[in-house]
Amino acid sequence: MDPLLVTGILAAGIRLGMAIGLASIGESASERAGVFNIGIEGIMLSAAFVAAWGSVRTGSPWLGIAFAMLLGLILAGFHALMVLVLGVNQFISGIGMVIFGYGFSSFAARLTIGAKPTSIPGLPPIDLGPLSHIPVVGPILFGQSPLAYIALVLAIATGWVINRTALGLEIRACGESAEVARTLAIPVKARQTACILFGGITAGLGGAYLSVVQVHAFVDGMVAGRGFLAVACVMLGRTRPLVAFFASLGFGLAEATQIRLQTLYPGLPYQFLVILPYLAAIVALVIGHRRSERLA
Amino acid sequence: MTMVRVVRLGLVLGFAALVPSLFVLLAGQNPWRVLTTLLLYALGPQGWSEVLVHAIPLTLIGLGVAFALRAGLFNIGGDGQLIAGAVLSVFFAPYFAGWGIAGLVAFLVFGFAGGAALGAFVGYLRERFNASEIIVTIMLNYVAVQLVSYLIRGPMEDPVRFFPRSYAIPPDAVLPVIVQGTRLHAGLIVALIMVVLFAVVQRQTVLGFQSSVVGANPGAATYAGFRVKALTIIVMAISGGLAGLAGAVEVGGIYQRIEDNMGEGFGLAGIAVALIARLEAAAIPFAACLFGIFFAGAGALQRELALPFPLVWVVEATVIFAVSALHWAMPIRKADA
Repeated sequence: MDPLLVTGILAAGIRLGMAIGLASIGESASERAGVFNIGIEGIMLSAAFVAAWGSVRTGSPWLGIAFAMLLGLILAGFHALMVLVLGVNQFISGIGMVIFGYGFSSFAARLTIGAKPTSIPGLPPIDLGPLSHIPVVGPILFGQSPLAYIALVLAIATGWVINRTALGLEIRACGESAEVARTLAIPVKARQTACILFGGITAGLGGAYLSVVQVHAFVDGMVAGRGFLAVACVMLGRTRPLVAFFASLGFGLAEATQIRLQTLYPGLPYQFLVILPYLAAIVALVIGHRRSERLA
Repeated sequence: MTMVRVVRLGLVLGFAALVPSLFVLLAGQNPWRVLTTLLLYALGPQGWSEVLVHAIPLTLIGLGVAFALRAGLFNIGGDGQLIAGAVLSVFFAPYFAGWGIAGLVAFLVFGFAGGAALGAFVGYLRERFNASEIIVTIMLNYVAVQLVSYLIRGPMEDPVRFFPRSYAIPPDAVLPVIVQGTRLHAGLIVALIMVVLFAVVQRQTVLGFQSSVVGANPGAATYAGFRVKALTIIVMAISGGLAGLAGAVEVGGIYQRIEDNMGEGFGLAGIAVALIARLEAAAIPFAACLFGIFFAGAGALQRELALPFPLVWVVEATVIFAVSALHWAMPIRKADA
């Protein structure tokens, strides 16, 4: 195979998987603490809009990203309130959040930046001079967005906290058995709330990544299942953040491959290629099957 | 105790009123005027039938969601199953030409079968491989949207290539309009029959009883010797089948062919319908009518007050949050339960 093509696909795969990867980091922590948030799809959508809007209004993509993180925090806080305080089923609250995300993002977009995609001040990839221009390795490792490197550090740090620290032990205890954790005087709800909020922030980052880094515009429904893919990655990684993160990049690779195949085989109906990442998710869940209790 | 309940109920209802109002205010409109416009349209001479037209698929999908949720299964795949039902029924529809009423029945049965096949597949993956039905149903929604987009531009294309849409179904498979001058079609009768069937299955049959036990306590169901795996697959098949039936009904009653974005978002709305009705068959048509008002009315609001249509989703989410928080506001005492 053409090395340039492979380089291109790998670099694009990392770029396309990063939104999922970012969201999967916090969701790993959240699920590890025993609370699912399938609403991160909705949080990502809301965040993608707010980041785009913030960039347009302030002219600074970084401020847009900050708005997105803040909104992610607020929406996740609402999920925590519903689940931990009001005792609402976590999946139902999550579905509510997904629907809210659809509504909020398209409604607000129509009122502000317009329903049609308009170009926004985006975040360019970093340029490390000669490093970024090394053949093959350069564009893949040294030509990504600054958020990508933040994501990698965040994934490693989150994994370290969860698996190597006393705090992580407490978080895992909450997820394994909230009752036992409570008898050990672990503040279960506080730990779970913290993890859910962290999940909201990374989902916000993921959404912001999509609009500000990847597409440089807000498009209705642009998250297109990436939030759910992030949840699937967390299931695949069995709540280990780094594994989930790399599984996300795997989906990015599937996406990059299908886009490249579209141009390579124009005769093939593009729809068959577009579905590849979604089918890959189902296949991955089937292969990565494991014993675990019923979700609901 | 009563005081706490009143305060909590006030908080929940206040939330439900506040969030949509806030969005309306942000759009520079008066919430009260929006509400009156909505109700005047929905109960008016044109609106009432449109409300029912939307309530038909929402009832069917809501029944499906409720049937699965009673067994503890989340079917978020209503959109995909609706498409599967529409595709299978339209695929076989040309063969039913000249069959009369039997053709219509066959058409609907194939719709149910299309959704049921997809639902059963999800149930199988859940039981055999422990694949989360939530994720799998959602992924299949995206797959279904793409495949139908291919089909109506390829194998099932309209011979007159003007819009991307499928060929038309034969007149035998068309659900007749039951009120002249409106779009209200015989799908209403289909939906009501399903409501009754749902109630009967739920109350009078082993399947209904066992699936409720599985939902309430999977461990107890296994201990009692129920075949939980088979039950899961059957329940998901019925749940998907009802959404598939909704697809056939939409085609037979409204479109008479498959179009892009047909019935989009009904799957998620069906979840809201089932939750508001607290999974009770008799309440589902009314919950569906409530959302029928939102869906039909949102079009009117967009035309008359320039309020963007996605407001519907905000309202829907708010209703889901508020309804699911109700049991916090008004906990059912052990004696009542």
